[in-house]
Amino acid sequence: MSTFSRRGFLGLTSAAALGAGLSACTGGGTSTSSGGATGAASNDLRVFTYEGDETIGLFKAQLKKFDQQAGTTTTVESLPGSGAAVYPDKLRTQLLGGKGPDIWRIWGGQIGSPFAKAKQVLDLAPYYQKYGWDSSINKQAIEGMTFEGMKAGLPLLSLGLGAWYNKSLFAKAGVSAPPKSYAELEEVNDKLVAVGVTPCGLGGKYGWDIMRLFEYLLEHTAGPELHDKLLTGDESWDRPEVVEAFTLFKKWQDKKWLPQGALGLDPSDVEPWYVQGKTAYTIVGPWTEAAAILSAKKSPSGFGNFELPTDKTPARHSGFVEGYMINAKASNPDKAAELLDFLAKPETQKALQITASTVKGAEPDPKSLPLSAEWAQKYGSNPFYTIQDQAFPKKQADQYFSVQSDLLQGSVKPDAAAKKMQEIVSAWAKS
Amino acid sequence: MTLTAPVRVDVSIESAEPAKAPRTKRGLVITLVLIVIALFWISPLALLVITAVRPLSDFIGNGPLSWPADFTWKNFSDAWGIGNFATTYKNSAILALIKVPLGVLVSAMLGFALAKLRMKFRRTVMFTVFLGLTIPIYITIVPVFIMMRSAGATDSIFGLIGPYLAFGIPFEVLVLQSFFRQLPDEIIEAARVDGAGDWRVFFTMILPLSVPALVTVAILDAVATWNEFLFALILLNSDAHKTIPVGLLNFQGQFANNNTGLAAGILIAVVPILIAYTLLQRWIVGGLTAGSLKG
Amino acid sequence: MATTVALSKPKRGGRWSPWLFALPALIVYVGFLVYPAVSSLWFSLTNWDGLSATYKFVGLDNYFKLPSDPVVVTAVKNNLIWTVVTIAVPTVIGLLLAIALNGKVHGKPILRLIFYTPAVLPLVSIASIWGWLYNPQYGAINSFLRLLGLDGLAQPWLGQDSTALWAVMVPAIWLRTGFPMLLYLAALQGIPNELYEAATVDGATKWQQFWHVTMPSLRPAHYIVLALSLIDSFKVFDMIYAMTYGGPGTSTQVMGTWMYFNVFQYYQAGYGTAIAVVITLVAIAVGIPYVRSQTREAS
Repeated sequence: MSTFSRRGFLGLTSAAALGAGLSACTGGGTSTSSGGATGAASNDLRVFTYEGDETIGLFKAQLKKFDQQAGTTTTVESLPGSGAAVYPDKLRTQLLGGKGPDIWRIWGGQIGSPFAKAKQVLDLAPYYQKYGWDSSINKQAIEGMTFEGMKAGLPLLSLGLGAWYNKSLFAKAGVSAPPKSYAELEEVNDKLVAVGVTPCGLGGKYGWDIMRLFEYLLEHTAGPELHDKLLTGDESWDRPEVVEAFTLFKKWQDKKWLPQGALGLDPSDVEPWYVQGKTAYTIVGPWTEAAAILSAKKSPSGFGNFELPTDKTPARHSGFVEGYMINAKASNPDKAAELLDFLAKPETQKALQITASTVKGAEPDPKSLPLSAEWAQKYGSNPFYTIQDQAFPKKQADQYFSVQSDLLQGSVKPDAAAKKMQEIVSAWAKS
Repeated sequence: MTLTAPVRVDVSIESAEPAKAPRTKRGLVITLVLIVIALFWISPLALLVITAVRPLSDFIGNGPLSWPADFTWKNFSDAWGIGNFATTYKNSAILALIKVPLGVLVSAMLGFALAKLRMKFRRTVMFTVFLGLTIPIYITIVPVFIMMRSAGATDSIFGLIGPYLAFGIPFEVLVLQSFFRQLPDEIIEAARVDGAGDWRVFFTMILPLSVPALVTVAILDAVATWNEFLFALILLNSDAHKTIPVGLLNFQGQFANNNTGLAAGILIAVVPILIAYTLLQRWIVGGLTAGSLKG
Repeated sequence: MATTVALSKPKRGGRWSPWLFALPALIVYVGFLVYPAVSSLWFSLTNWDGLSATYKFVGLDNYFKLPSDPVVVTAVKNNLIWTVVTIAVPTVIGLLLAIALNGKVHGKPILRLIFYTPAVLPLVSIASIWGWLYNPQYGAINSFLRLLGLDGLAQPWLGQDSTALWAVMVPAIWLRTGFPMLLYLAALQGIPNELYEAATVDGATKWQQFWHVTMPSLRPAHYIVLALSLIDSFKVFDMIYAMTYGGPGTSTQVMGTWMYFNVFQYYQAGYGTAIAVVITLVAIAVGIPYVRSQTREAS
């Protein structure tokens, strides 16, 4: 799911596999010891994460620092490249395999919640109190890791999505300032097409990338309150606002505001197109500054970002959180929480070069990441709606992507698409 | 068997008629045609090679299909570190060096029993083993994981050996037993008369006579083992025990892929197999033919 | 062919000796393949979600749900197309290449290497490379078509239901042609010239020679190629997963990927396992004639 799964593609896919299986076993009662284990609490901590090669070194260095202060021995295992498609399943396997990690990194929303529901996660409420995380961490982000009232994780990243654009292409089309309303955005698109530039670069492989456009259109037509209720199944999707959003969605493709054959494109290929000058903008989060602009050795000054105008109040954008959870069976939960608190310190966040930290005082550095800093400053405190692929379980998300795909290929009309969505969501919300 | 008639066979057919001079000319034409096809065939690979030798910034800035503005070897040294190849190479090599010979040996033994020894339930055994050709690997993942966990063999390359052997056996036995069957029984009989037992016959006659088939099977098996991803991903956790395909995951980050590093990593990963293949191919080409002699 | 004339008279080791040869492989095979496959059957009769510690026995419910799942219908159809095409095409191309390479051709070793190389690549690379080539606007394939003036043929190959499956088959064929070629080449070189000479004396045309001399001599190679194809084709999973992820929508789902999505991503392990059991049973049913022919051949 998720958002980033592509990398996962790797087919590897496979990975996932495990998850399932394992569990079975545990069912059988094999599971090894656990929490209550006797004896002196161990000072060995195992952390499972998905840091890739650019960041794993920084992370390990900070853990070493922590070990020196706290007298622990922390080991890290990382499964990069898997993104949210594979990592959660591998994590499940490990947990059910009996010797799960003490701490793991995870996304919020429907990716993190199964672990809380399965009671594999420690309730962090006492530690929130002890360390005062309620005041040092962004409130909205904490919501994203609170499930059925239980504080299941400590969110350290909060990522918001907006439009990131290529200034010279906007200039070429005679656009001098980012659009302030949806109508203006459509005008921008028309101007771009008129000068031969594809406006918005999104790829439909996996579904979640092109979804970023639809969820924005839905926020625009339905507004914040209704949008949230749609996501939880509290309101029916079979209504004019949704039909209108689907109609606009199709319009974006028909007017060639999306790349040709967008449905089959791999998001990781398409995302840098606005940097390469092949599209004018894309819908993405601040990671793109490092991943697409800086790594292409381009100057950030040639690019800009803006919140997609919804014409509604409050103005919101799509977003999601990531953070850490502690194993309910961790042998030394106090030390594990101490480690989380260490990670949540502004100095640590800075040392880790986190671009969208939830921690007060760890905002992105305008010198190294000017655009991310600008985004954080302008829009960072705006509310956000849960990115839709994390709002739904994977199965419903895939069905939803399938509706998107049929609609864009013309085999389903907007009103039928809205009805289909209602079937999908209500079947899930009921269960 | 049901091969459909190859459409283009006439190439080789019409041609044999004219005598020598045209014949070399025809060879030339076929060579040219093959070269053109080969160029097409290899072009996707050329893309991989080009990606491996261009800077990442150039790749991201201009896209995969542009001609590089710049060339660099640095991807390879970077890839060596990122992919943790020092470790994964060792693990994959150990795995292949144990698994491949062992798999070929046990398969050859079974193949020998099926082809040349009088064994009860021979057809049943054969049927059961060949049926394994059709069983998808993913149906067994979950139970295998559970088994390995209770045996304490997860996170160890040795835990992979069992499943890898099992999935190689049906094909290897199929090929080897059919090859063995074509070895003349007379020489076995002769050896028997001289007092050789089954084991001696197997090791001193059957195996040496079957080198081409053994090599064929071993190469295929080595490629499969070298690239196997699913079981390795599920059973291995720590960096110290990962194999090459799992290590290749390191090139993908949460938000961006290091495509140039990955391309370099893939080339590094593929080299041993290509070398093995190049060295061993004359055996393959010499092989399989024993059978057709009796045609 | 192959006679097994002299089944050795039971020798001293007597009737146990064959089993000593057979057992090591059989034990591994049963322990790591047969047993796990059979134990999967159990899960298909439950409503296990793959995560919880408990589950209920639901009998054949999961199987009854299969026919009304529209994705299963698509998947079965895709599996059939995939199997037929990816068995037939690489075999035919492999044979043609082998015949061509068996003639008087220069640079044989390098040509052989080129045609075989795709077979050793890890899947990761195949999915990315072909994804780049297929890109509708910038990809090499459409650029090439436009260069030839065939703009009308340029398609969003992976981006529409009608072409996606076929587009994934191309790299599969690319990948799987090398080995049949190698085997056929080996087999062709082993056909004694006298056979052809004798046929010529009998007045056989080249075409007749091909069908009556060449093809029969290639039988052992045919069997091996078919065995390999069986392994790869019916069980297709990773190629689809990596190249289209089953999309657009669910249009390229096959049974293997659909099982995978259910078991590992949708928390429906019971249902997903039922799909896997069905694929396995169908694969076995399709494979039985072949397996029997192999078994019979041996006796």
